[in-house]
Amino acid sequence: MISYVGKRVATAVFIIFVVVSLSFFMVRLMPGNVMEFLENQLARQGDLTTQQIQQQVNAIYGVLPSAPVWRQYLEYIGHICQGNFGTSISHPGQSVAHIIANALPWTIFSVGVSLIVSFVVGIAVGTVMAAAQASRFTKFITLVVSFLSAVPNYLIAILLIYFLTDTHRLFPQGGAYEAGVPIGWNLPFLSSVVRHSVLPIASYAIVGFGGWALQMKGSAISTLGAEYVRVAEARGLGRRRIMQSYVGRNSLLPQVTLLALSLGFMFGGSVFIEQFFNYPGIGYYLISAVNSRDYSLMMGCFVLITVSVVFSNLIVDLLYPLIDPRIARPSVGRKGRPSAPREIEEQPAPVGGTMA
Amino acid sequence: MREFFRDLWRILWADKSALTGAVLIVCYVLVAIFGPLFVHLSSFGHQSAAYLTPSWHHPLGTDSLGQGIATELIVGTRPIMEVGLLAAIITTFVGVAIGLLTGYLGGWVDIVAMRIVDIALTIPGLPLIIVIAAVIHSSNPFVLAAILSVTGWAGLARAVRSQAISLRTIDFMAAARIQGLPLRNIVGRQLLPNVGPYVAIHFLLGITGAIYAEVGLFLLGVAPLSGTNWGIMINLAMSQGALYTTKSMLYLLCPMAAIVILQVAFVFFSRALDSLFNPRLRVQ
Repeated sequence: MISYVGKRVATAVFIIFVVVSLSFFMVRLMPGNVMEFLENQLARQGDLTTQQIQQQVNAIYGVLPSAPVWRQYLEYIGHICQGNFGTSISHPGQSVAHIIANALPWTIFSVGVSLIVSFVVGIAVGTVMAAAQASRFTKFITLVVSFLSAVPNYLIAILLIYFLTDTHRLFPQGGAYEAGVPIGWNLPFLSSVVRHSVLPIASYAIVGFGGWALQMKGSAISTLGAEYVRVAEARGLGRRRIMQSYVGRNSLLPQVTLLALSLGFMFGGSVFIEQFFNYPGIGYYLISAVNSRDYSLMMGCFVLITVSVVFSNLIVDLLYPLIDPRIARPSVGRKGRPSAPREIEEQPAPVGGTMA
Repeated sequence: MREFFRDLWRILWADKSALTGAVLIVCYVLVAIFGPLFVHLSSFGHQSAAYLTPSWHHPLGTDSLGQGIATELIVGTRPIMEVGLLAAIITTFVGVAIGLLTGYLGGWVDIVAMRIVDIALTIPGLPLIIVIAAVIHSSNPFVLAAILSVTGWAGLARAVRSQAISLRTIDFMAAARIQGLPLRNIVGRQLLPNVGPYVAIHFLLGITGAIYAEVGLFLLGVAPLSGTNWGIMINLAMSQGALYTTKSMLYLLCPMAAIVILQVAFVFFSRALDSLFNPRLRVQ
C-alpha cells in the first residue's frame, strides 16, 4: 500500500517539475525571446539605466536577465516552490499568484460540478442502454449521443449564448455573479452565482455525458456476459439486484480510471467556455494573458492548470484502492501465491479528443 | 485488397449512418481540392452588399464586408482540412514509431519513453497548445500542425506498445528473430500490419481532434487571423457583433454547421472501420 502511494506521489511531483521547467524554457529560450522583448521595450522608453531595467525585468519574471541561464533556472524553480510567480504586466500592481488564487475556485467549481453532472447522467443513461439493448430508445439515444460527442464544446457554448442570453435573455450574459450583489454566504449572491453558472456547466455537460454513456454501455454489456452474472441469474436473484450490485459496480471500475483522464480534457475545455462566458476562472485569465502578451501570468495559469490536473489525478489514484482493493494489494484473492502487480493503465486511450 | 474493399462496402451498406459519413467526407475532400478553382473571394468588399439575405447570387447571404458566405465556406475548407490531415499524420507516425519500438525493444528505451508518454498524457493538451502557439505565433500550416500534435501522439504510442508487447511472444515473431531479420523488417513488416486497424481508426479520430483544437485556436485569436477559414469566420462574426444582431445569423451558424457535419461524419465513418476490423463486433 505504502509503495503504491509513494510511487503515485513521486510521479505527480516529477510531472509538476517537468511542467515548471517547460514553462521556464518556453519563456527564456523560444524564438522571439520575451524577456529580451521586454528589455528592449523598457530601453526604448528611455530615462532608465541598465540597472533599473534589470530590476524591472526581475520584478516581473523573478529572474535577472544578465545572470547565466542555469542560475536563472534555479532561481525560477525556487520562486515557484515558494508560490511566487512574478508580477502581472496586464494587471499592474497585482502578483500573478494573487490573480490565480482568485480565479482558481471558479474553475474548480464549474469544472467539478460539470464533471459530476455529466458522469452521473452518462452512467445512468449508459446502464439503461445496456439493460435494454435492442429497444428503439437505445438505438435513438446511441445516435444522439454519438452525434453530441462529436460536436466541439465551444460551438455548444456559442449556440447557448446566442439563443439563451441574447435572443431570449433567459440567462445572464457573462461573469460569475451580478455586479453590486454583496459577496458572501447570502442568498442573493449564491443564487446569482448559480444562475451565472448554469450555461457554462450545461455546455460542458451536453458534450461530456455522451462519452460516459457510450463507455458505460460497452463496459456493462461485457460485464453482462460474465459467468458470475449468469450464476446470479441462475440463483434466481432479482433483475434489479443483479443490475445494481453485480453489473453496475463491476462495470463502473474502468470509468473511474477514465475520470482522471477526462479531467485534463475538461480543464482544457475551460479555456473556451470561460472565455466565451466571461467566467473569471483560470482559462479566462490564460487567454487574456495570451492576448495582452503577459507571459508571467500566462505561464502561471498554465502551470496551475497542470498542477490541478496532476493533483486531481493523484486523488483519483489514491481513492482507487477503496473501490477496487485488488489494485494496491495484488495478492488478495490469490492466497499465498505472489504475483506481479497489475498495471491499471494498460487500457486503450479514450476515444476522441486525442489532441486535448 | 479487393476483399477488403468488398467488406468495407458491405459494412457501409448495412450501416447507413457510416455510409453517410463516408460520402460526406468524400464531398469535403473534393471541395477542399477543387473548390478554390471555381470560386474566388474579391480582395476588397462592397459595403453596399453587406448582410444581404440569401439570393441566387449569394446562396447563404453575405457578411459584413459584402462577401458571399458560401464562397468563404468553400475557400475556408482547404486550410482546415490541410492542417487537420498534417497533424494526424504527424501524431500517427510518431505514436506508431515510438509504440512499436518501445514495445519490441523493451529495456531502458521503454522505461524512458513511457515516462515521457506519462507526462504527455497528463499535461492538459489544449492549454499547452495555446501557450506554444502564443509564443511561436505562426500561420504556416506545417508549424501549426506540429504544434497541434505536441501531446496527441502519446495515447496512440501507449496503445500500440501494449499490442506490440503481446505480439512479441507470438510464433511468427520468434521465427523472424531466429531468421535474423533486421529491426527495420521486424518492426515494419511483421509488427506494423498487425496494429494497422487500430492505427487507422486513431488516424481518423486524430483528424477530428486536430480540427477541434485548430478551430479553437482561431476562435480565441491565438493563431494569426490571416486568410479565410471557418475558425476565422466564426471569430470575425463574433467580434463584429453577430451575437447581438440577428442580421448575421447565417455568417455565424454556417461555419459552425460545416465543422459539426465534418466532425460527425468522421466519427460515424470511424465506427464502420471499427466493425470492419473487429470481428467480434461484426458477428452481431
